[in-house]
Amino acid sequence: MLAIQLAITGLQTGALYALTAVGFSLIFGSTRIFHFAHGAAFVIAAYFFYAAFGAGWGVIPAIGVSAFGAVAFGLLLDRLVYVPIQRHEGSFFTVFVASFGVGIAVQNVIGMIFGRGYVTVNTTLSRSVEVIPEVYVSPLAWIAIACAAVFLGGLGFFLKRTHTGMALRALADNPELVRTFGLNPRAIQAAAFAIGSVIVVPAAIITSATTGLSPAIGHHVMLISLAATIVGGIGSIPGTMLAGVMLGLAESLALLVVDTQWTEAVTFAILFAFIIIRPSGLLGRATAH
Amino acid sequence: MEAYIYNLVNLIAIYSILAVTLNFIMGYAGIYSLAHAVFFGLGAYTSAFVAQNVSASILVSFPAAMLAAGVVSLALALPALRVRGEYFVAASLGLQVLSVTIYSEWKGFTGGIGGVLAIPPVNILGIDVFRPAAFAILSVTVLVLVLLIVNALVHSSFGRNLRAIRDSESAAASFGKNVPVIKTISVVISAALAALAGALYASYLSFINVESFTLDTSVLVMAMVIIGGTGTVAGPIVGAAILLILPSVISYFDFLPQTEIGSLQQIIYGLGMTLLMIFRPGGIVGRRSGT
Repeated sequence: MLAIQLAITGLQTGALYALTAVGFSLIFGSTRIFHFAHGAAFVIAAYFFYAAFGAGWGVIPAIGVSAFGAVAFGLLLDRLVYVPIQRHEGSFFTVFVASFGVGIAVQNVIGMIFGRGYVTVNTTLSRSVEVIPEVYVSPLAWIAIACAAVFLGGLGFFLKRTHTGMALRALADNPELVRTFGLNPRAIQAAAFAIGSVIVVPAAIITSATTGLSPAIGHHVMLISLAATIVGGIGSIPGTMLAGVMLGLAESLALLVVDTQWTEAVTFAILFAFIIIRPSGLLGRATAH
Repeated sequence: MEAYIYNLVNLIAIYSILAVTLNFIMGYAGIYSLAHAVFFGLGAYTSAFVAQNVSASILVSFPAAMLAAGVVSLALALPALRVRGEYFVAASLGLQVLSVTIYSEWKGFTGGIGGVLAIPPVNILGIDVFRPAAFAILSVTVLVLVLLIVNALVHSSFGRNLRAIRDSESAAASFGKNVPVIKTISVVISAALAALAGALYASYLSFINVESFTLDTSVLVMAMVIIGGTGTVAGPIVGAAILLILPSVISYFDFLPQTEIGSLQQIIYGLGMTLLMIFRPGGIVGRRSGT
């Protein structure tokens, strides 16, 4: 029974990981910008929801505030930081450091406003119900899995069938060719940031009601996003989704053998193994160099 | 006031050692590690353990710290051989997170969350060094030694090989350079020298716990290198001095919330890093055009 319980919890965690990581993977895969502040977008989305919901705004307006915060952050960062850097050089390191600096600043501003401790959004949805004997599942678990299915399915459809989606994939393959076809790479890049940032919103909100929030959660989010992106194969959105679910399941099922404080170690072990043995990831084709 | 200055000198010297050694792999070999605090911590724990159980002599506890960090750094060198750039950042971030868990759990060696108490002062030729003024001489001496070692390495053929690898790994390999060996050696040297900072830190404070060796410390050291100037000699020390003096400067301004000095410090250097990357990627000391 414990294994089933852990598998369901793992699926819930994995769904949230997939939603979180896919935004980073989309941005990094299509624009090659090492958006380390993706964790900050998650933190902003989560705390905006926490603040709006706590102020009694109701769920729907609070989701709106959260989405607005994440998208505005992504677009502003692209416009004010990444575009100017790309203008003069844009080596991996320069972009990484600039993004990293923003992440540190956001974490501390949020910490000064909301405090550095853990906060949780209280809702009856996180109360667990016994579905089959000895297996407890909260309604939020189903919401998490449903959200992942809807949003990831929607993203897949968007990338395959719409013009913007195809342009995003084209940008990943060859930015020069995109320009030749008369498309504006900068506008496509902005679209990648808007979509990549908004897709963390469901994960951020559900996390705020389940495990709770702290300003430092951004680092955890980044570790998961990087791990899922690399394990799934850089540039492969389906790979990232698969890897996200896999990491969630692995962290949860590992509790059969180890204590909770070692769950991040499990993620790290998987990431490490992939980097050493198969740097191209589950579904990737490009190699690490 | 005097005690305050000596204390600041000690901290700047210790963090400068960390920044100089991180700059060695970051600026010259292109290995961007977010796990430098791991070796700082390992050096501190090992020297504390040796000082308490074997001998507090500088000739015993300091080499032991270097040895432990050098061996464990092979765990970081392994991914560095396979991949670079974003992959390595991920691997080092993971190693940092994992190490904090180990440091918090391995109670026999690290004392868990509570930390290690009553670490004996370091002993040089029968004299216990613990007064801030005397300790400042020791810490600055160690910093100078580290600088000399790193400088000698950078200006030797080994340093040229490192820069060649940073600029183009395949080109260096095609010139017959043994890239994996060179990279491994540079990581091991960097970690072993960083452990000296840990050993100094443990004996200076006589108390250590995992709080000092978290990701925040790795980030702080990386910020010191970047703000000072990656790949320069003076940059890391300038960066360390600026970031460590910053809290006192903040407390000088009354209108700033004094309970949030730590956060303000991080916000300032976070935004400082971002602005430098936009306007002056080479850092304060670095060349105007960047690398």
